[in-house]
Amino acid sequence: MVDFFSTPLLVTVVLGSVGLGIPVIDALKKERGSNNKLYSAIAFGALIIAIGIVIFRVLSGAVMPAAAFGPGVLSDDLFGSFFAVALLIVSIMVTAASWDYMKGRANPAAYYSLILLSSIGMVLIGYSTDLVMLFVAWELMSLPTYALAAFSKRDPISNEAAIKYFMFGALSSAILVFAIGLVYGITGTTNIGGAIQGLAHLQKDLIPVGLLAIALFIAGFGFKIGLVPFHMWLPDAYEGAPTTIGALLAAGTKKAGFAAALRVIVLGMFVLHPDWTFTLAVIAIFTMTLGNFAALVQKSVPRILAYSSIAQAGYILIGFALAPYSNQALTGSLFYIINHAVMKSAGFLAAAAVATALAGYSLERYRGLGHRMPITAIALSISLLSLAGVPPLVGFWSKLVVFGAAINSGSIVAWAPYLAIAGLLNSALSLGYYAWIIKKMYMEQGPDMTKVKEPRAIAAVLIFAIIFMVGFGIWYAPVLEFASKAVPHFGNIASVISNGSSSTSHPVKPASVASSNSSSATGVRAIAVVVRSHPR
Amino acid sequence: MNELIDFVTVAVVLFAIGIYGLVVKRNAIRMIFSIEIIANAANLNLIAFSRNLHNPQGQMFALFSIAIAAAEVAVGLGIIIIAYRLYKEIDVEEFRSMKG
Repeated sequence: MVDFFSTPLLVTVVLGSVGLGIPVIDALKKERGSNNKLYSAIAFGALIIAIGIVIFRVLSGAVMPAAAFGPGVLSDDLFGSFFAVALLIVSIMVTAASWDYMKGRANPAAYYSLILLSSIGMVLIGYSTDLVMLFVAWELMSLPTYALAAFSKRDPISNEAAIKYFMFGALSSAILVFAIGLVYGITGTTNIGGAIQGLAHLQKDLIPVGLLAIALFIAGFGFKIGLVPFHMWLPDAYEGAPTTIGALLAAGTKKAGFAAALRVIVLGMFVLHPDWTFTLAVIAIFTMTLGNFAALVQKSVPRILAYSSIAQAGYILIGFALAPYSNQALTGSLFYIINHAVMKSAGFLAAAAVATALAGYSLERYRGLGHRMPITAIALSISLLSLAGVPPLVGFWSKLVVFGAAINSGSIVAWAPYLAIAGLLNSALSLGYYAWIIKKMYMEQGPDMTKVKEPRAIAAVLIFAIIFMVGFGIWYAPVLEFASKAVPHFGNIASVISNGSSSTSHPVKPASVASSNSSSATGVRAIAVVVRSHPR
Repeated sequence: MNELIDFVTVAVVLFAIGIYGLVVKRNAIRMIFSIEIIANAANLNLIAFSRNLHNPQGQMFALFSIAIAAAEVAVGLGIIIIAYRLYKEIDVEEFRSMKG
């Protein structure tokens, strides 16, 4: 039974009613003309209320500790709340910045409504414990962003970006349905807990199907996250979409993809075969290397940020690959995710400020920006330094935790320290193009050095981002503690797997589980050993 | 059980046809067709499994997925109509202004 006062439902009701209400207000209004400011304020208020609800419920202790699984379709746990906070911060920053960016553009009502609806999808992904719910939330997140990417109707670039984004997005969701279908077929349930329990007790001859399903999940989520064989659409889409929407895609939907991947792939990988971790590690190294090398030769700032976000996905994936070996790894990934959400949206929104004030994206436009738009330039510099991992900014601590986990896991898996080495080399490489932008802004003189009026709302958002990146860089403990509390307990997972009739499992007992309890007991024991030897 | 294998085989063939179409065709509408074929292969799988397991969850999910696929196609066709207005063309080879 669904509790109507649980966090996900409250957030859905608040954002959904406002998101559907804004177009209605627009239709009922008598006088014509753009009401951008009104709708921006309404959407901003709704998002603030939503994040207030999430934080209040976390602080008041009404939220369950991070559970890997739940009996229903949604579980009101800390894992979901963590992602809800991270993603709602992104939505709030994007909405506030759109106050300036959408000035004089058509259809503001639909724009803010779509952002709110997409936010609901992102928030629900983190909370969902059922594959059906996960898929519906996934689509609720994706569909509005296709329309948002194409929002500048007269701009061919925006349309091109939207077509590429749509094609790959639709393909990824079709692949996801296929994967969910396979998991359902071999385990008899769509509940994630039940499905993973079923996968752990799989008959020998069905194991290839299980592996195929996990591979399809990696492909489906990988398209949205931008892992390397599936990344080709990403730079075009992030560059071509309106820049504020680029921020929403890079910082929001990508992080929601990580939430879904964590709920499904990592836990499934944990059950099926430890070799999957090596696959993810290889993907992580390719992802960060390719992202960084491709970013070196770009000329447009949003495109550099897009390639940099591919590279950052590689760093985050290190933590996922090491999840079964080190508890610190997933903590590091989550910590990285919330910090990257702020850093990347600050970068894109600074580019949006430049686009609003100077009407251009190319690197040449940024010459002398430190003099022309001081707040934007300092925010962009701090966000770039933080992305590169310069202490004491948040990016440094995220990298420290993730790479530290990789080095610590070296005692269990021999290849783990190489991940840390690859990450460090890549960070050094990435400083090449980040510092290049900073040099253009501060060391070079542009043809026109007059001061430009900075868009006020974007400047306010950027100041918030500076405070976050520097403040939580110096005082990182609370965020790190929140991240470590949000990681699902692996001891819990092992008990669900080994104990078929535990209360957290799905009421519908999978047919194939009942018949094959004995066949894969050894696999379960191996996992239990891994878990027991690394207590939290 | 043999019946199930038949359905799954058809689904896999449809999946392969969809991937083939997506790789080879350059007309945006045909690419949407290909994606729809993949989605329908998945739905066929779900329904076959659901019947085999005597469990209605799969059919319910197939209905969800059909409805969502319809919404997805509506958004996609909207984007393609705008592309046609801009380019007088829906060949994705033409959409190559961004490089790098």
